[in-house]
Amino acid sequence: MSPRRSTTGARPPVLCSCLLIPLVFFFLFLTNSASLAQGETEVVDTTATTPLAPVTSLLAQDFKYDDGDKLMLTWVPSIDDIPVTGRVTAYEVYQICNNGEPHRIAELLPEVSTFRVEELHRDSSYQFYVLALAEDASAQSVVTAAITPEQEWLKWNWLNLMVMTIVVCGAVMVFIKTATKGRKLFVRKIAGLEAVDEAIGRATEMGRPILYIPGINDMDDVQTLASLTILGHVAEQVANYDIKIRMPVARSLVMTAARETIKAGYQTAGRPDAYTDDMVSYITDEQFGYVAAVNGIMVREKPATVFLLGAFFAESLILAETGNSVGAIQIAGTARPAQLPFFIAACDFTLIGEELFAASAYLSDEPKALGSLKGQDVGKGIAMAAIIIGVTLTTLATLTGAEWMSSATELIRSWFVVTD
Amino acid sequence: MRREIPLIITISVGFLAILSFFSPPFEPLGEDFTLFFDIIAVFAFFLGGGNLMRVHIDKLIKRKKDWGFSIVTLVGFLVMLVAGLGKIGAESITSDITREGLFSTLYYNVHLPLGSTMYALLAFFVASASYRAFRAKNREATVLLIAAFIILLGSTPIGQMLTNWMPEGMSILEIPNLAVWIMSSPNLAGQRAIMIGIGLGVVSMSLRLILGIERTYLGKDSG
Amino acid sequence: MEHLTFWGHFGVWVAAFLTLGIYSFLYRDNPWYKFTEAVFIGISAGYWVVVLFFDNFYGKFWVGRGEEPMLWIGAILGLMMLMRLVPKIGWIARWPLAFIVGATSGLWMMNYLTSNAMSQVQSTIMPLFGEGFGASFGEIIGNLIIIVGTFTGLIYFFFSKEHKGAFGATARVGIWGLMITFGAMFGYTVMSRMSLLIGRVDFIFRDWLGLIQ
Repeated sequence: MSPRRSTTGARPPVLCSCLLIPLVFFFLFLTNSASLAQGETEVVDTTATTPLAPVTSLLAQDFKYDDGDKLMLTWVPSIDDIPVTGRVTAYEVYQICNNGEPHRIAELLPEVSTFRVEELHRDSSYQFYVLALAEDASAQSVVTAAITPEQEWLKWNWLNLMVMTIVVCGAVMVFIKTATKGRKLFVRKIAGLEAVDEAIGRATEMGRPILYIPGINDMDDVQTLASLTILGHVAEQVANYDIKIRMPVARSLVMTAARETIKAGYQTAGRPDAYTDDMVSYITDEQFGYVAAVNGIMVREKPATVFLLGAFFAESLILAETGNSVGAIQIAGTARPAQLPFFIAACDFTLIGEELFAASAYLSDEPKALGSLKGQDVGKGIAMAAIIIGVTLTTLATLTGAEWMSSATELIRSWFVVTD
Repeated sequence: MRREIPLIITISVGFLAILSFFSPPFEPLGEDFTLFFDIIAVFAFFLGGGNLMRVHIDKLIKRKKDWGFSIVTLVGFLVMLVAGLGKIGAESITSDITREGLFSTLYYNVHLPLGSTMYALLAFFVASASYRAFRAKNREATVLLIAAFIILLGSTPIGQMLTNWMPEGMSILEIPNLAVWIMSSPNLAGQRAIMIGIGLGVVSMSLRLILGIERTYLGKDSG
Repeated sequence: MEHLTFWGHFGVWVAAFLTLGIYSFLYRDNPWYKFTEAVFIGISAGYWVVVLFFDNFYGKFWVGRGEEPMLWIGAILGLMMLMRLVPKIGWIARWPLAFIVGATSGLWMMNYLTSNAMSQVQSTIMPLFGEGFGASFGEIIGNLIIIVGTFTGLIYFFFSKEHKGAFGATARVGIWGLMITFGAMFGYTVMSRMSLLIGRVDFIFRDWLGLIQ
């Protein structure tokens, strides 16, 4: 009986459990979904009410090696400034000058943590704070202590450049001094420059003019200055041989300087009366307008000799080829590596880069000027030594892993780096 | 005075320019000098423009060869001056003449196409220069020729077609790869040597100018 | 072509006439080229006078002359330059020239020393086998060539010693390296110049003649 009872008696709980389980699940579902819904609401609410974290560790420091008109601000970004999902939309930098009213000086993007404040005054004190901005909130950092920008007289971070300048310039000046004392200095022959007198002589024999093109840049380019220093020598020779020189220019200032130079050449040669301003004429500042005119001069006047010395760009090829087509002997030179191949292809002699700057010293044959060439060789020696020692040390450092070699390499390399 | 003052100016300005590099209080001088130069250049334009006018008027008066073309130059010059300085055809006195008016029209329809055409002439001259370079007169010129040829071929599909049969291990010898390698290694070496040389050459020449060793540009009676 | 006004068409025809005038020089010097050249010189010289007047004189001097007294130094130097027109005091024009030469020399000297000489030396100091032996065989050869090429190139530019013996042989390697550089630049530029011609041919056949749609 009892089992049956029990069986019979067990039936209602089974039934109950059958009903109860879904009910429990339903209840659980309801409570869970309700709590989920409540939870979601709470998350949103929490976010909306959580204050935005400000930037921290805000520091205002003097900007090194300036004229006392800059300060450097650094800070740790707000912890709410997370890439993509972060709340921070921008930072605003505020400046307080001499305890006055704060005013905004910059608005920066999120994730920025430095700012250089410029156009300040050495007689004022400054405080700063940074405001982190979000869509619905903002947070102000602490205000920095008052600071006054300081002036430095020398950029000590460029000590290496100072030393390098002193060494190279010193070497040039020492050799100039040595040459002045009368010591004979040897300088090797430079083919392109040896040919200058020969080219002028050719124009004399042919009875045709010399065309001198000083490039298309103005007097604010050292290549133009180099060209004018060579012109001084050419003008003297031209005056000696009594031949015609024609110099169309693309810049008014070059015209003025070239006239002075040629005039000086004629005076040195003892023929000041033979000089006229017409030898130098201004054409136009326009690169290709100038080229069109020079091309015309070349084909109409058929110069015996063409000098193309100075700063040249794309027009180098047109000028050199036209000069070549009229049968002129051409001496070219520029410090623009991209134009050198065309001069090499179309001209008889080409002064490559450095040779252009050495030309006037070489042509003048003046001891002082020649001494300067020796001086620049010292610079080349330093460059070559640095390359050889540096490459050897850094290669050995990778082979042996020796720390001191890496440090020595870095030291050598650092002497040639100029950073802001 | 005529001899000394220009030299004193060159020396002092030269040293101040160097100082502006190293000393923050002197730093603005570099910019100031550039600004002064720009202003001086405008004044100098009176001399240049005046010279242009004088040369062509002289040619016209003396009926020199091709004097008729001098009229064209003078008319072009004066029309551009009047159109630009007078803002002819521009809506107001504050208008940007490079965008509207006769000045702009002449610029876009005459000046610009002429400049582009002269620039495009380079294509023809490059052909004749190539012919000259490719005759390879000596060993150095042959080296130049080979390097140029590889770069030229490497930039065209022909370069790829000629050497794409090469096995994987020798891919560096395929012409396009070789062209890239030449540009990034031997080319770089040459460029560096030239640039270092130029850097030192400029230092030496600048010192000669600043110290007054070179001064022909100042005329004879100045030094 | 259809949407152009009369003046638009006229402008295109003028441009085409002048373009062909320039190209006629390739045949020989001729009156058409001379005319085009004269137009180009006149128009471009006038253009630059006007642009420099507004940009440099008005923009840089006239506008700021009250607030920046320093600008007057530039103007005074400019006026001194014009003294060239008065023969008796023409020598004053050398003062602004002396100023320009001093400033250009000083400023460029430092720029070239840093950007050309020093930075190139610094870039050449590199491990032959790459950082941490990372270089491939081709890169090692490339590195070696950069180092040797730079070194021998500098030997070539040495003025103090005659190019003889071992020194001369090294200089010869240097000049070969330079020739490869020039060859590479030559080839590279030739390719870019061809595209310019294509641009002008396109103008003639598309914009002017309308043969290319």
